[in-house]
Amino acid sequence: MSLPAFRVLQPRTVDEACRMLAEHGAEAMVIAGGTDVIPNLQMKLFAPHVLVDIKLLRELSQIEFSPRGGLRIGATASLTHVLETPWLAEEFPVLSSAVATIAGPLQRNMGTIGGNLCLETRCRWYNQSYFWRQSLGGCLKKEGDVCHVAPGGKFCWAAWSGDSAPAFLALEAEIEIASVSGARRVPLRDFYKNDGKDRISLTRNELLTSVHVPARMAGRRGVYHKLRVRDSIDYPLAGVAVAMEVDASGICRDARVALSAVNPAPLLVRGAGEMLVGQKWSRELAERVAHAAIQTGKPLTTSASTPIYRRDIVRVFTRRALEEVWKNGQASS
Amino acid sequence: MADRAQTNGFSIIGKPLAMADAVSKVTGIGKYADDLSVPGMLIGKILHSPYPHARIRSIDTSRAEALNGVKAVATGQDAPNPYGILPIGHDERVFAVDKARYIGDNVAAVAATTAEIAEQALDLLRVDYERLPAWFDPEESMKAESDWIHEERAHNIEKEYHHVFGDPDQGFAQADFVAEERYYAGEVNHAAMEPHSTLAIWEPHERLTVHSSTQVPFYLHRTIAEVCEMPMSQIRVIKPLIGSGFGGKSEIIPLEIAACVLAKKSRKPVKITYTREEVFLAHRGRPITIVYLKVGITRAGKIAAVQARVVQDGGAYCGYGPVTVLYSGALLGAIYDIANVRYDGFRVLTNKPACGAMRGHGTVNVRFAFESILDQLSHQAGLDPLEVRRRNLLKAPCITANSLRVTSYGLPECIEKVFERSNWKGKKGKLPYGKGIGVACSHYVSGAANPIVRSNMPHTTVYIKIDRDSAVTVYTGASEIGQGSDTMQIQIAAEVLGVCTERIKLVGADTELTPVDLGSYSSRVTFMAGNACLNAAKDMRDQLFAAVAKKLGCSPSDLVAKNDRVSHVSDPAKSVSFDEAVAIALEFHGALVGRGTYAPPEAARGGKFRGAGVGPSPAYSYSAQVAEVTVDPETGHLHVDKVVAAHDCGKALNPLTVEGQIEGSVYMGFGQALQEDMIWKDGRLMNPSLLEYRIPGTKENPDIESIIVESVDPEGPFGAKEAGEGSLAATIPAIANAVYDAVGVRINSVPITPEKILEALRAKEKALATSKPPPEKSSAPGMAR
Amino acid sequence: MNKGIVHLRINGEEREIAIAPNRLLLDALREDLGLTGSKRGCDDSSCGCCAVLINGVPMLSCVALAASYENCDITTVEGLGGPSDLDPVQEGYAEMGGAQCGYCTPGFMIATKALLDRNPNPTMEEIREALSGNLCRCTGYMQIYESVKYALEKRRAISAAAASGVRAPVVR
Ligand SMILES: Cc1cc2nc3c(=O)[nH]c(=O)nc-3n(C[C@H](O)[C@H](O)[C@H](O)COP(=O)(O)OP(=O)(O)OC[C@H]3O[C@@H](n4cnc5c(N)ncnc54)[C@H](O)[C@@H]3O)c2cc1C
Ligand code: FES
Ligand code: FES
Repeated sequence: MSLPAFRVLQPRTVDEACRMLAEHGAEAMVIAGGTDVIPNLQMKLFAPHVLVDIKLLRELSQIEFSPRGGLRIGATASLTHVLETPWLAEEFPVLSSAVATIAGPLQRNMGTIGGNLCLETRCRWYNQSYFWRQSLGGCLKKEGDVCHVAPGGKFCWAAWSGDSAPAFLALEAEIEIASVSGARRVPLRDFYKNDGKDRISLTRNELLTSVHVPARMAGRRGVYHKLRVRDSIDYPLAGVAVAMEVDASGICRDARVALSAVNPAPLLVRGAGEMLVGQKWSRELAERVAHAAIQTGKPLTTSASTPIYRRDIVRVFTRRALEEVWKNGQASS
Repeated sequence: MADRAQTNGFSIIGKPLAMADAVSKVTGIGKYADDLSVPGMLIGKILHSPYPHARIRSIDTSRAEALNGVKAVATGQDAPNPYGILPIGHDERVFAVDKARYIGDNVAAVAATTAEIAEQALDLLRVDYERLPAWFDPEESMKAESDWIHEERAHNIEKEYHHVFGDPDQGFAQADFVAEERYYAGEVNHAAMEPHSTLAIWEPHERLTVHSSTQVPFYLHRTIAEVCEMPMSQIRVIKPLIGSGFGGKSEIIPLEIAACVLAKKSRKPVKITYTREEVFLAHRGRPITIVYLKVGITRAGKIAAVQARVVQDGGAYCGYGPVTVLYSGALLGAIYDIANVRYDGFRVLTNKPACGAMRGHGTVNVRFAFESILDQLSHQAGLDPLEVRRRNLLKAPCITANSLRVTSYGLPECIEKVFERSNWKGKKGKLPYGKGIGVACSHYVSGAANPIVRSNMPHTTVYIKIDRDSAVTVYTGASEIGQGSDTMQIQIAAEVLGVCTERIKLVGADTELTPVDLGSYSSRVTFMAGNACLNAAKDMRDQLFAAVAKKLGCSPSDLVAKNDRVSHVSDPAKSVSFDEAVAIALEFHGALVGRGTYAPPEAARGGKFRGAGVGPSPAYSYSAQVAEVTVDPETGHLHVDKVVAAHDCGKALNPLTVEGQIEGSVYMGFGQALQEDMIWKDGRLMNPSLLEYRIPGTKENPDIESIIVESVDPEGPFGAKEAGEGSLAATIPAIANAVYDAVGVRINSVPITPEKILEALRAKEKALATSKPPPEKSSAPGMAR
Repeated sequence: MNKGIVHLRINGEEREIAIAPNRLLLDALREDLGLTGSKRGCDDSSCGCCAVLINGVPMLSCVALAASYENCDITTVEGLGGPSDLDPVQEGYAEMGGAQCGYCTPGFMIATKALLDRNPNPTMEEIREALSGNLCRCTGYMQIYESVKYALEKRRAISAAAASGVRAPVVR
């Protein structure tokens, strides 16, 4: 499975990177760690003429926190770097617990936070070799006009399969995007389009430069639960992230629940915050939030596990995550 | 961890030794097939069929041939001779000539100067297909009235066998408890880490040298000759290091012949290496198996009768198929003392990649069914399932109901060992809800007593040469594939000749240099090549002793070889160094060559009924295992906490490698039990990758405690039997039985996924809620016969 | 495609190769540099057979474009040690059964080396975690753990011996 022919450009600054992207536009593709890009190129899922390799953008590899600016993680910070930043695990446990589940250590040494937030969506009918797809006549997302997940439909259901995005959503993260026309900052939740074919609001000449979490999120309890077959290396079949602020009397002051791998986007569970804020732990409430979660999560047969099972698990994981950070967290604090 | 047996006075046998080729492996010096390259080498790529069943009307190769850098294009016309591993199953062609029979079937190939050009050339081949109706489900395929996959195989049945031993009907009549279940096992692939690779080099004088990732270099040798229409004497097959096989390299794999055809056509060296996806498409793994099983036991726990109907989904070609389905029958009951057995086995063709031999060939899925139903019956009878196994043991030596000769039988000790080590007594029935413990047993052959191609030639031959440098060189056809067979033969030669292992060199599996060995499959190598090597070493020792005795003025029978010396047993003054002994012997004999062969004794070759040829072995290995699991009743998540595995390998020639084989087998059984499954949609493999076909990694893999049991077989080399496959089959039912112990549901289908557990738990809950008695079993379909 | 010259420091030696921009480090090592110790086991970067150290960090050479790692320090299995100067990690895998067929072994040893360089005293959990990006089909992993333990004992013995000025004893 040889790679298509392309040129590799290695910008040294963000400005230079933006100029390169502006110049090559639709021909170009960003590559960071390459752990998503390279296997996809081998499968001939894209054929860019230019790869803009951003590994050397040292200015984007930092992880820093300030009481005013909050947390800032540069796009090229590796997943391992995130895991090995000890204060992150203490202050933003939902993030560390999510990143710890991504792939295996070798992929995490290469893979970046930026790449994880921009991951291609995945589907068992799409992430296949050129031969395999040809034998089928392609699918809606690539080379064809039929969706094999929901035949007859005109919408691509390829699933969002990154693990850090739900954690960042639960932390109300914003991302910074740079291009030759300047930088813009957008809430992460607005970045995802919930369309398997057109996953993110990022044009070909833009670069994600960093992700930001507000300072007030520091210290928030949180956890990420991931459904997978193989603990060692596996994309999520479902993922639930919870981040919550609980006061001394055990009352929830703020909370967010987000899901991965059950929709074409990582999504915040609608209404979860409203249900939780001002309340004390009760199993019944946790069950209600869990029920809300399966209203948001709409898994289809995009992966090995069945939609019914993945919904079941989203429900159980949501309740358990709440239990863990709220009820059990209570006991320990 | 190790429970190593004693070394009983041997110098080398029984010691945990590093593998002879370990240093070349850990330094990266050792070469696997894809590591080889020669100047001017072309890269070959194969065009695969996109359709599951299609007639090939025509192939236009002109555009591909015109591409700059393409040196040869081959299609079915270039090599139309059929072949297959079994003489009764020559139904494959390297490239389809009439029709393609599965998605991935081989249609054509190109050789070009680079991989990129070869891939481009594939895109330029134009094939005109006429699609045909296709068959995917084996039980549907058996009913086919038309569009048979091979015209000569009516109703897509490759082979069927019907065996009756004793009187099953009477047996069932005498049984106090009878259970009847349907079991299903999904398809699994060997997933050896090394993808197949072949380098075929066209040499001067119309000769062909082939380096290939094969477990069977001598069958490959013969098949190349047949397909390429060349005399065998013009072909040399060399087996380099092999990144393991597990059966996946024990047939002729299409790329091997394709590389030869392209090399012959282009008159150049051609290398083909499969992608991981192609490995799955070439397949030859364990078939989807459906087992309708009925077993009856008495109140005392004695097995009264067994009846099984087994349907195997063989895929589009014969391969080892008939052997697989015969092993399923032959080994079904022969582990225990069972007088009454009825077996109906069907090997069915479907439009999917061909299945074949995989570790535990033929036994694994029926063992899962059998050991599960035995557990179920034990509970019905109110007996401890481990105790029930104790009550059904054979009394070896003996002949089983289906004429298998059992010479040594370490199963009783295996059972007692796992009973103790797992603290069975303290745990069975006493663990909290969600935690469970289960037991199961298995057995396997130490090579087939009857060769694939019937003849009276030996199954294996070993030569040992010694010359003036006093180095001992073992020439063996046996294929080291990572299991340690080279080391095993070096140990045997060193032990017999009384020299240190450093003195022994081994030349293995090269059709030009070494004598024939049938290959590394059915766990035959330690028993057969080991015995041949033992015989060759003894022959050599006799020659040394004859010469030295003459020189020392004693009888050869007074001499011993030990510590690199040949000495008189009782007179220490009469002693020469090994170097001196060699010099003496060279003067005396001129040339020093020891020869050894092995062929199984007549008595081991089994019964006379149709299909009796498969199953007989000179000796059988035995295993007992206890698995401990944790089940999350809310998610169905299953974790295997520990597997305690005892294996009777006769004699552990090298305990380090025997433990490695037991642990590797348990690991593979664990993978099939929980997470490995080839998922098919209309003949299309949905997970042809290591990301989606999930072989276990370090995190979920259970702790494995391996225990070696030594029954010392009377005919095995130093008493040794097989160790590489037998343990696998016990792992799956041990886990399934532990799941029942944990949460009270039986999962009769592997892999045991969380979905299946959850579904069964819900069904059970529902049944309880409607206040029916809790069903012990999920379903009891009729025994369609 | 136009080839360019790429400089890499491989196993301590400066190497220059003329390669196309789409050349993967794995192919550059195996085909352009003749270092066939690193293996390819999969199509989708999920097996770890191709792992090498890049600036001391274990990475997948089947994901790395060689040109992107210009001037980096790369260590392959060949660079761990030769037959007469085996690294303790290599000795461990050879002695304790960590290498059966040996195909996954280079990748496992690279991951092990990186682990022990950073954490000389790993717990069993840490060993499992550090090796969880590598798949082995032969061993069932138990003897791999033994191999890692052998290596770490040997390293301890070497550093203890270095501290006291005597030669390292053989562990086994
Ligand atoms: C075997 C295997 C298992 C995996 N398992 C998981 C898993 O369990 N969970 C999971 O979340 N991921 C998994 N991954 C995917 C991947 O390793 C991670 O998501 C990783 O974080 C991707 O980062 P990267 O830098 O390698 O991305 P790249 O491959 O470099 O890029 C990924 C995508 O993001 C774009 N991109 C990258 N950086 C930027 C940027 N700064 N601005 C704009 N666009 C950008 C690229 O153009 C590309 O489309 C797995 C990968 C493999 C090979
Ligand atoms: S070859 Fe499999 S991960 Fe690199
Ligand atoms: S030793 Fe064979 S794959 Fe690990």
